[in-house]
Order: sequence, then structure tokens, then C-alpha cells
Amino acid sequence: MKSLNLTASDQGRINALLSIDDTIALIRAGAPLAIAGRPNALDQLPAGNWIAGTTPYFMTADGGRVIDDTQVFVTDFSGLGAVRVVTYDEHHLPQITEDAPENGFAMAIMPFQSRCHERFANEASTYPLAFLKPTVGWIAGFDLAEGAAAAAVYDGANAVRHADRVVVLHIELPAEQCPSIEIINIFEADGVETIRFEDTSFAPAHCLINGERVSFVDYVKRRGREDGQLPLVGDFSGARINASIRTVEGDKVQLYAPVFPGIDYAFAGIVPDYVGAFREAFAAHVQEPAIWSCNCILNFLFGELEGKVIGGCAGPVTFGEIAYQLVNQTLVQVRAV
Amino acid sequence: MALPPKTAPCWQKLASGGMKKLRTSNLGAQMLSQRMELSKLPPAQKADEIYSFFVKWERGLANEIAQLNSL
Repeated sequence: MKSLNLTASDQGRINALLSIDDTIALIRAGAPLAIAGRPNALDQLPAGNWIAGTTPYFMTADGGRVIDDTQVFVTDFSGLGAVRVVTYDEHHLPQITEDAPENGFAMAIMPFQSRCHERFANEASTYPLAFLKPTVGWIAGFDLAEGAAAAAVYDGANAVRHADRVVVLHIELPAEQCPSIEIINIFEADGVETIRFEDTSFAPAHCLINGERVSFVDYVKRRGREDGQLPLVGDFSGARINASIRTVEGDKVQLYAPVFPGIDYAFAGIVPDYVGAFREAFAAHVQEPAIWSCNCILNFLFGELEGKVIGGCAGPVTFGEIAYQLVNQTLVQVRAV
Repeated sequence: MALPPKTAPCWQKLASGGMKKLRTSNLGAQMLSQRMELSKLPPAQKADEIYSFFVKWERGLANEIAQLNSL
């Protein structure tokens, strides 16, 4: 691997896989960074102006990759505005939006299956400033080949690993720019039936199908959706927000994101070609470069994205994505416009 | 088109179901619309929140602002 040219990094922000040594050099040079990688790699990084989360899966400019612990993925936010690291516990999550810059956004990472993950997922859309000071980010995960692995996040200001905290970069943008939070969701409702839920839940026991209350697990099985390939698609006033099926075991369905009462859901229709669908979606968007993006592990796995390029986006592949609130099976990106 | 003042009736209309009629692909506007629909806040408070959203993101909401007087 080529050594990093720090002079070049000052002129164009880095958003790519780097060696540990190059990442340490960037940290020591004072660059504000969002980092992702395996725990053994992230444990080697010194204190600085950075946050990180665990995942070995990435989309890069050269295609989807699974990395070892000799590299990490680095997004450099130099040259925008003030960037600062703040860590929150589960009791102070609404403070994320309170603390976010007036012109900018909060980039948050939280560990999969932590209390912070659960509470943020359930409550983020109710935070008073949720839509005035946007939060984007991702849910840290682990290598699925390592059965007992756990997700973690890193407060780089103190070089400390956390199992249940949210680490945030508050990123200010220049006055002439503002953040545009965008999602690319290749799934659409299949139009078969409208599904409603009575409570906010990651594991709903019942649902309403055309007004009739039925067992949700029975409904999932009747529809043949136990394999989790196709998410529930919620209609949030035109925005398609997914909640993906995690497991169907016994009489219980576990989701990767909560469903909410008052929202019309439907199962997604089949997507025969993930790569083609993403490329088509990118072609339909204005494509000024994103300053940060992430994509979902389920898209990576079910879409077989390893080694495949989709629209030039690069970033971590995650166990949940954040665009104002938690979303699933979705590509999230931020552009400065 | 300039953003209507806070006293304009369009904000009350948006707070009383008009957000659902807005044609938008802005993710924040769509999610705010959903929050307003489910919210039990009084319409005046909803109108304040919607107005603040439009003030904050005015530059990127030209298409939405053009619809305000016809909702």
C-alpha cells in the first residue's frame, strides 16, 4: 500500500481505506476523522479529534470489501468548519441535536444492540430539534463470521472504547453551504397489503392487516418472508423508511429497527438486481460528491456487493443507518450544498 | 418566491393537515410531515415548528415554498 501523502490530503479530503500508520499520522496532524474498522485496528489509534465504530465491511471506490485489521476506513472532515468530539450515554441522547452546530450536522456512531441503539431508534424522531439540526450516522457491528463478537464505538478524544455510548462528531459547515441528508432506498412497497402496528417495537407480537389484528409471526410466515431479505417499508409522508426482519424464531419476530404506530407499512417487493438498482438510483440523483455515506450490511450480503462498485460511494457497511432516525437496508449520504 | 411571514395563514394550514399535501422529496420535510400528523401538539405549536423548519432550510425548499399559497 502506498504511504499517505499528507500534503495531498489537505487539498482533497480522504474517504478511503488507509493503513494504521497513515491513520495515526493523520490523527497526529490534527485531522478531524470518522473511522471504522476491526477492534484490533481501532485499539491502536492514539487520542485525537476522531470517533470510530467497529465493522469489517465497506463500500470503496473499487467495490465492496471485507478488511482485516491492517487497515481502517477513514473519512476526513478537514477544511469544512469546527469539528468536535462528544460522547453521550443513553440518558442524554436528545442532547445530540441540542449540541449540533447551527449550520452543520451531527455524525453519530452507536453500538448494535446497545441501550443507546434501542433508545435512539425509538425516540429520535421526537427530539425537539431533530429536523432543525440533523443527525446522520451508523450502527457499529462486527464480523458475522465471529459468532460471539460485539460491536463497539470509540471516543477518539480520549482513545477509549465503549460498548454502550454514542460517539458524535459535531461538524460545522461553511456559511455558504448547508447539509443535505439523503437516502437511497432500492425497496418499494409490494402493494399487497397494508400493515399497521399498535406500538413502537423492535419485536411486535401483533399487527393489523386491513384492520384485522393478527399474530405478526404468523403473518410473516404466511407471506414467506422469514429469510429477512425483504424489509417492511414504512410510508413516512412519501419517504420510504425500512424496518428489516432480523430473526423469526418460535413465536417471535425480531426487527433491526422499530416499527411505529400510525405508519402504513408493507413488505417490499422483490429486487432482482441490487447493483443495477443502486446504479439506477444514483443516476437519478444529482451527483455532487457526498462528504460521507454508509450502506447496510443486509444490502451488502443479499446484494452480494463484495467486489462490486455502486455509484462511486464509499463508506462503512453497517448494522443500521441513521438519517434523522434509524433506518434499515438503506444507503445514507450527506452532501454539502 | 420569498418565504411568507410567520403570520401568514399558510403555516396554520400546513399544521392542520396541509403538510401531507405538500409535494416534496426533501427527506427532512417528509419526516417532519409525518411527525406533525402523529403529534398531539396544538396547531399553533405545530405551525411554529413548521415555520422554523422552512426558515432554517429555505435555500433548499424553493419547490415547497412555491406551493405554500396553493395548499
